Amino acid sequence: MKASTPKSSHAHRLLVQIESLQDGFRKLSKAATLTDLADKFATVLNRVFPNTETRVFHRSDHANQWQSLQLGGSDTGSLLPPNDVTYTSGFLDKASRSMCAVQNLVDRSYVGLVLTQQTGGTKYADDDVVSLRLFVQLFDNAYQSLLHRRKEKELVFALNHRVLQLNSLIDTGIEVSKLYQKTSPHQLALERAASLTNASKGLVRVAGKKGEKEETFFPVGERTRKVENPSHCITSTFKFGGKTYTFKLFEKESRHGILPFEETDQLLLDALTRQVHASLVNRYLHQQELEKQKMEREISVAAGIQQRILPEALPVIDGYDIAGINIPSKLVGGDYFDCIALPDGRYVLVMADVAGKGMPAALLVSSLHAYLSAYLETPMSLAELAGRLNKVICRTSTADKFITAFVAVLTPGTGEIEAVNAGHNPVYWLKNDATIQEIKASGVPFGMLDLDLPYTNEQIILSRGERVLLYTDGIPEATSEQNQLYESTVPLQEFLIRHKSYSADAFIKGLIDDIKKFTGDAPQSDDITALYLVRR
Amino acid sequence: MEQQFTLTSEVRNDCLIITTTGYVNNVGGEKIAQEFSRHFEGGTKKVIVNLAQSKVVNSIGMSFLIDIVDQLNDVGGKMVFTDLDSAVDKMLSIMGLFQFAGKAKNVDDALASLASEK
Repeated sequence: MKASTPKSSHAHRLLVQIESLQDGFRKLSKAATLTDLADKFATVLNRVFPNTETRVFHRSDHANQWQSLQLGGSDTGSLLPPNDVTYTSGFLDKASRSMCAVQNLVDRSYVGLVLTQQTGGTKYADDDVVSLRLFVQLFDNAYQSLLHRRKEKELVFALNHRVLQLNSLIDTGIEVSKLYQKTSPHQLALERAASLTNASKGLVRVAGKKGEKEETFFPVGERTRKVENPSHCITSTFKFGGKTYTFKLFEKESRHGILPFEETDQLLLDALTRQVHASLVNRYLHQQELEKQKMEREISVAAGIQQRILPEALPVIDGYDIAGINIPSKLVGGDYFDCIALPDGRYVLVMADVAGKGMPAALLVSSLHAYLSAYLETPMSLAELAGRLNKVICRTSTADKFITAFVAVLTPGTGEIEAVNAGHNPVYWLKNDATIQEIKASGVPFGMLDLDLPYTNEQIILSRGERVLLYTDGIPEATSEQNQLYESTVPLQEFLIRHKSYSADAFIKGLIDDIKKFTGDAPQSDDITALYLVRR
Repeated sequence: MEQQFTLTSEVRNDCLIITTTGYVNNVGGEKIAQEFSRHFEGGTKKVIVNLAQSKVVNSIGMSFLIDIVDQLNDVGGKMVFTDLDSAVDKMLSIMGLFQFAGKAKNVDDALASLASEK
């Protein structure tokens, strides 16, 4: 084998160096970190410069000390690159057994290479220094590539995070608006807000007007302490239903410690709390709507009941003219009237008013109607009938539910009217001399007291041309838009006298028209019920 | 509501199984990374992260997970996430983790999937 000459050895070395430069960039471009880059770089150099100890140093700027980038190596006793900022490359010793190259990198930091011949190695040539300059520039290129890739990765991450924030904002909006879910809207929003802003912890405080408060912490078990730096806490607040909802996020995390929150973090928190606010409003409105629907269903059922109870038409009584009306203030009211023919030719006139309205009132009216109808099957005095009705209503209603009622029995042939009054308004008896007598016949309302208190009868004889008006308090207490009572402006007794020549139908129509004219657009405050009897 | 972070781990069929509870944030992510590094240096290349009890992950926690995925990919290893809450699944998906890591319904499925990998 032919021994290689120094010239051919030099050419071979150059060839290796060129190949290493090409291969080196491929390897270096895959480095994930500066340390990784230094390790890979040392490997490349060791191929080019055999029997060499390669040390790679870095300093963040010219004022700082050189730091070794290689793991496991000891810098003790190693030569360091010169600190001179103008230094580029050269030998580090007179024997040319150590050489160095320094490169100012793209981010103004410095990389320094120190190559030292191991024992038995030959000294470096000037060409080696030139090669080392080329390699350190290669390191610079690879470092730029590393920074670009890192920047690109950060940008992609940041972009994905923004997409994530937007997506999560939409998803959270949908989730908190769900009416039925395990997690409360404010808990869910707190979790999402903390995660999307990288807050390390957070809380929601729901405070009532009387100082009572409920706090929810994220994560559970965390207790927030006082935050010294205001930029390490963001807050968003809204009020709803007499409560103040306060969302707080603490300590924005990073890989390098706590950061101040950004403007976008505040915007995100505000957006999420607005969603919670909207969700609470929607839940409230939904609940209201459900209650309204429930009430409407109740009213509809009660209306059906009442329709069957109130007389479709009043009986025709020979020698008498009779008319009645009921206008409930709601769809279903608590007023009741009737004129019931008895088998013996007499008639029972009833006017009643239940305390309350809606379904409970309708049911009580229904009870009164049923018991009255049942008791009328059996002959008994009016006072006894009233006593029985009181007892049974006491048993079937709650303490706050009672009925005021006027019950009278008319004997058409004689015009005799026998009446009991269970706490109801007095009935007006319009006499032929244009005076009015009140039929009071006092007694306690049905269902109020179960003490066997007696009901007193009162008897009158209705002469030809005379009239009686039975009514509920919805008439005298009808209220105008100016909040005035009908009775205070148009006393019912005066109206009765002024319209004494009217037929029963005309009187009722005139009375209702007058009340409507008086109340105008004011809402009807109570049921309006009247029964008018004229002896012809 | 999410708990404070805790972590347990075990090795089964040469796979490191990390099971977490609570908020995967900076602290949580760091703990996962430390646990991973301890086994990675010993040659473990297959990792399963069970997030059944972690319903909230922030981007700092995710950056640790991405680093682990990168390290595993560099050595031909594989990471599989399991028992993902739908919100976390979407989050990891948007952040691009599933381009380089797998996901499975549960740990057993993940073990089976990793066993079939060379």
